[in-house]
Amino acid sequence: MVQFVVDVLMRASDLVLIAVGMSAIYSLMKFPNIAVAQYAASGAFIALVLQKGGIPIVVAAIIAVLCVGIAAVALNELLFNRMLKISSSTAMIGSLAVSMLASAVFLLAIGPNPTRFSLPITRPFRVLGARMTENQLTSLSITTAAILCFALLLFRTDLGRCMRATATNRLLAEATGIDTRRTRNAVVLISGMLAALGGICLTLKGEINIQTGLDLLLPVFSAAILGGLGNPLGAAAGAIVIALAETLITGINFGPAFGRELLFMPAAYATAGSFVLLVVTLIWRPRGLFVSEVKRV
Amino acid sequence: MKKLLSFGVVLATLAGPATAQDIVIGAILPLSGASATQGEDQRRGMELAVDKINAAGGVLGQPLKIVTEDSAGNAVTALTAAKKLVTVDNVPVVLGEFSSGITIPVADYLLQQGRTHINIGSSSIKIRDLGKGSFSVIGLDNVSGAFGAEDVFKSGAKKVAIIAPNNAYGQGIVDAFSTKFKELGGTVTSSILYTEGQTTYRPELQQLEKGKPDVYVYSAYGKESATINRESFELGLNETPWYALYLTMCTADSEPQYVEGQIGMDLNYIGTGGADYHKSYTAKFKSDFTSTYNGFAYDGVMMMAAAIDKAKSTEPAKINVALAEIGKNYQGVTGPITFDDHNQRSAQPYLKLKIAAGKPVTN
Repeated sequence: MVQFVVDVLMRASDLVLIAVGMSAIYSLMKFPNIAVAQYAASGAFIALVLQKGGIPIVVAAIIAVLCVGIAAVALNELLFNRMLKISSSTAMIGSLAVSMLASAVFLLAIGPNPTRFSLPITRPFRVLGARMTENQLTSLSITTAAILCFALLLFRTDLGRCMRATATNRLLAEATGIDTRRTRNAVVLISGMLAALGGICLTLKGEINIQTGLDLLLPVFSAAILGGLGNPLGAAAGAIVIALAETLITGINFGPAFGRELLFMPAAYATAGSFVLLVVTLIWRPRGLFVSEVKRV
Repeated sequence: MKKLLSFGVVLATLAGPATAQDIVIGAILPLSGASATQGEDQRRGMELAVDKINAAGGVLGQPLKIVTEDSAGNAVTALTAAKKLVTVDNVPVVLGEFSSGITIPVADYLLQQGRTHINIGSSSIKIRDLGKGSFSVIGLDNVSGAFGAEDVFKSGAKKVAIIAPNNAYGQGIVDAFSTKFKELGGTVTSSILYTEGQTTYRPELQQLEKGKPDVYVYSAYGKESATINRESFELGLNETPWYALYLTMCTADSEPQYVEGQIGMDLNYIGTGGADYHKSYTAKFKSDFTSTYNGFAYDGVMMMAAAIDKAKSTEPAKINVALAEIGKNYQGVTGPITFDDHNQRSAQPYLKLKIAAGKPVTN
């Protein structure tokens, strides 16, 4: 049971930072930026390359996170803002194109083999009967800390207040003297950094290949929609729901129902779980689980 | 770096266009991807064979040249490579690939095009039924699976859980192993076919764990196997013994600490006539064999060259006849090679190995 909780947390922490980043960008830019999953992969790859070049992992991670944040702002200024003037679906297709391009760049720069950080091998230890490794614990702690910092920023600082104001009503926010462009860039920067950190934490626990970004897209998107696109902390809850569904699907023993000792769903079907949840949410509560049905006027 | 090197090799082979007189044949190997270590080792075997053949005057009096294409461990890429070898280089013979799931579609295509295919690294039983133009210099899995099952059963294990890739190879070996193991009186608590190319196999491993087996039996391609071994270590599954089918394939890319003490079976990769070959390999590449597959690639090229010489032609139909004739009694570096009525190697000796101090040694 404890192992089950640990597994859910592990999987949720794979998704949560990226989903929060995607949702935060949506809240201000009003389009789902598909490239966020690739921001995560880019962060991990940059950190990996830097570490291979002899830079300590912590420094490498900080540089990578900053690089991706800046790149996200640059992409936003150069591409997405212009596309948004046409329509939000144009910007979404544009972000899809960016993520495809990113895949091609990864293939050329990194190659098709999976890679991981070179870290010392540590024996797993037991927490209440569940096995964890030091890297998994580190990764989980960083993720939790990042979410808490983001929540504090959103609800306890001026910048956060500006963000929420701009997200709720941009024109009104502008009228009260908020520099909405600066606010939007700040959100894109922070989201890009969160996604990159997410990618690095994910790689810290295991490994990454050039497909990882695209593989993450569906569960991350589902988590963001489940939490109500544009509601960043809702996305965090959404990530836990998705992780729960995926872990349940592969973890339940269907054997007794079919008169056999053991019978599991193949693990490849785990993502189908997030897909089903996505469809159900879109039909049942299209504005997400955590948004009240009454639309604010 | 190794990837860059092998990439360079591909480029180099491509860059030098064959002169009109060269005898050109093709090879499709996984120079990148999950089995890159084995693919590069196969390429080394071929290189040694080409060196030896050309030093002795070539084939039909002309230098032999192999155009090597990278499959990237992907069936679609491999098929594109096969089409290129047939239409652009117009080669009569293609050797390769490594993974059965890729070898089978590639061989199907080559046979449709009337070319000769030589299997140098795949062991799925389905290869047997490809057709007469497809030759195997390596033993297939009906034998190896049963060999492994007997070995595990004799060690005293009665309950096993088994994991292998979800492709022609994995399905074949799981089936062969399970059938034999149940026949002997053991139980297979669960058998899982994993999806290739994932970055995590935790869910699969946790499913295997639920059966509480005496031994975990597995077979996986180099880099996927590295992930499986790392995660089984992290989940503490390695406290139970692990048995590898084709041990050196499974452990080549894994951290030694994760696989220490694993037992398994593998191909007997060096026959009675192989001592000289072993020497020239270590002299040329400054290392011991990096996998068990180089010898089969070497034998494949040598037999093919002998067949072209015997046929006095590079026509695939004539090569097939000559190759079948040579395969009645051929002494290769991997031991004696004789083809059965399907042109498959009829006898394949196996080894029982274990990993001790990071190296495979005879168990």
